Amino acid sequence: MKKLLASVLLMTLAPLAMAVEQLHLFIWNDYIAKQTVEDFEKSCNCKLVQGYFTSTEEMMAKLLAGASGYDVVVPTQNAVQALAKQGFLSALDKGKLANFKNSDPAFLKRSYDPANTFSVPYAFTTSLIGYNEQQLKKLGISPDNWSTIFDPKVLEKLRGKITVLDDADELFAAALKYLGYSVNDRDEKHLRQAQQVIIKAKPYWAAFNSSSYIKELAVGNIWVAHGYSSDMVQAKNDAKAAGRNFSIGYALPKQGAVLALDNMVIPKDSKNKALAHQFINFMLDGKNAAALTNEMGAGNPNRAAAKFINAEIKQQKAIFPDTATLTRLETIEATDARQRRLLSKLWTEIKIK
Amino acid sequence: MISKSWQQRLLTLPPLGYLLVLFAIPTLIMLFASFRYTGEYGGLAPWYAYKDGGLTLELTLENWQRLFETDIYLRLFVKSIGYAVFTTLLCILLGYPLALMIARSPRKHRDLLLLLVILPFWSNFLVRIYAWMILLSPNGAVTQLINSIRDVFGLAPVSLMYSASAVIICLVYVHLPFMVLPLYANLEKHSSALLDAAQDLGANRWRRFWNITWPLSLPGVYAGSILVFIPVLGMFAIPDLLGGTDGVMIANVIKQQFVESRDWPFGSVLSMVLTAAAVLVVLLGAKFGRQGGR
Repeated sequence: MKKLLASVLLMTLAPLAMAVEQLHLFIWNDYIAKQTVEDFEKSCNCKLVQGYFTSTEEMMAKLLAGASGYDVVVPTQNAVQALAKQGFLSALDKGKLANFKNSDPAFLKRSYDPANTFSVPYAFTTSLIGYNEQQLKKLGISPDNWSTIFDPKVLEKLRGKITVLDDADELFAAALKYLGYSVNDRDEKHLRQAQQVIIKAKPYWAAFNSSSYIKELAVGNIWVAHGYSSDMVQAKNDAKAAGRNFSIGYALPKQGAVLALDNMVIPKDSKNKALAHQFINFMLDGKNAAALTNEMGAGNPNRAAAKFINAEIKQQKAIFPDTATLTRLETIEATDARQRRLLSKLWTEIKIK
Repeated sequence: MISKSWQQRLLTLPPLGYLLVLFAIPTLIMLFASFRYTGEYGGLAPWYAYKDGGLTLELTLENWQRLFETDIYLRLFVKSIGYAVFTTLLCILLGYPLALMIARSPRKHRDLLLLLVILPFWSNFLVRIYAWMILLSPNGAVTQLINSIRDVFGLAPVSLMYSASAVIICLVYVHLPFMVLPLYANLEKHSSALLDAAQDLGANRWRRFWNITWPLSLPGVYAGSILVFIPVLGMFAIPDLLGGTDGVMIANVIKQQFVESRDWPFGSVLSMVLTAAAVLVVLLGAKFGRQGGR
């Protein structure tokens, strides 16, 4: 018994004795390659501790409620603006970011952080439609159109086999695009129109789902999912790895879609800013940035990464949008309290109709 | 030497202090928040400001008015209470025979049977919900079984996942032990002499149950019902994961106010109404429980 107690005691105390430097990263789920984590831990002789979030709102809510202790956060562009205005972010020391020159200028100096004082681009995703290639071919539905998830005539054939993002911003953006408006249209009349589109389509959907649609698609339980490009790539790979008798594809709707540019920022209360800079610089390295695309299917705002990226992925417009495609993609801007209140009311109405 | 009543008071201090710090104070903070304005990027705006040299209070009734300006929130409360009532009734229906069986089984088996009731708690709540997601999915065991039975009768296959029934199945599954345990604690104390006497006087099985066991077990039923009803009323994870497009309950909308809409004041309003509903149920349960226990 005494021996047992002693060994338990040793086991619990051992990590304390071997404590190494830790970098606390707050990031989207599944948004950094395993190999990259290992490589970084080796290079800095430290431990990378990840915390995950599944939506911008969740991340903002946690940070604004006072969650601290993170050294690097990877928020989407509209959140960068909100966090910066709250005085939450620490200015980056570009002198410590030798690889900053690798960033594609097309993704720099955007309105949310005009001089990239606080943020450097990490990766981007688009919100699009992932689908079961065989089922959709059989039904004769072309997935590169928002009508796939909104038009009752198309949905008639997909009843119960489709999920949409459980996210008011994303779903309204898609409905607004379907109606031909901008994703940032905050005119109440247009939002009500979008709400009607969603309500009419809702009976055909299986669920609002932001987390498990990757699995549902890859297993074959659903045939169409509204979601993020990186998730669709993962679903495609999962289905292939599991040797399913179907394959997963993804398409950008031709009406245009949401582009989400994720950035690396350092919170003001980070306790290890030197290590945080080291991490950001590491991720801006072409090879490490490329892993994000090769393994996670994220779009890449890093020019040095191009030569490390698989040729097959390079051809995907949803991941590597050409200039023509880029013009059809919009980023969601930060909203004020009144706009959010209206959206929340419209969203609750949708949920209980 | 401290007198006995003082000893008792000292003993109740830690739990009272605990409740005060972790229930009463947060509830008051929440009540206060429900009269404040939202901050520009979420959180709360300051509740006082210096304007024209004087102190002004920045408080409002607006958040409470929003509760009544449409009927969607009240309808959602009614729906959630309906789910909670239905789940509680199912738990009584399933839990009562189980508790009775355990209480009447030979003493040496009881501990093992109770252990089996508690066993699911050894794995995490979310893990168990995910297990149900797999069982209820179109290729899952439960769905396949039901559909193969339906097939025999020439009925079309049904989908269980993402539906109200999936939500109810899981709500009952998760909360059943909370019904069984207080019921067992009550039923186990019943004296078999009463039943023997009734039998001697010619009462049949049903009569013995309805006139003796059931009335005596009512405090256990009320205690179990409270333990099931209240957590179900505030549940958001199960409807989130298993509910279909119309599966939301009131707690999902509260979560939405705090997280997505970053509208703490309105979230506080909804939380206060939910807390009030829960307190009301406890008071009613306690009242009936005492009467039943006479």
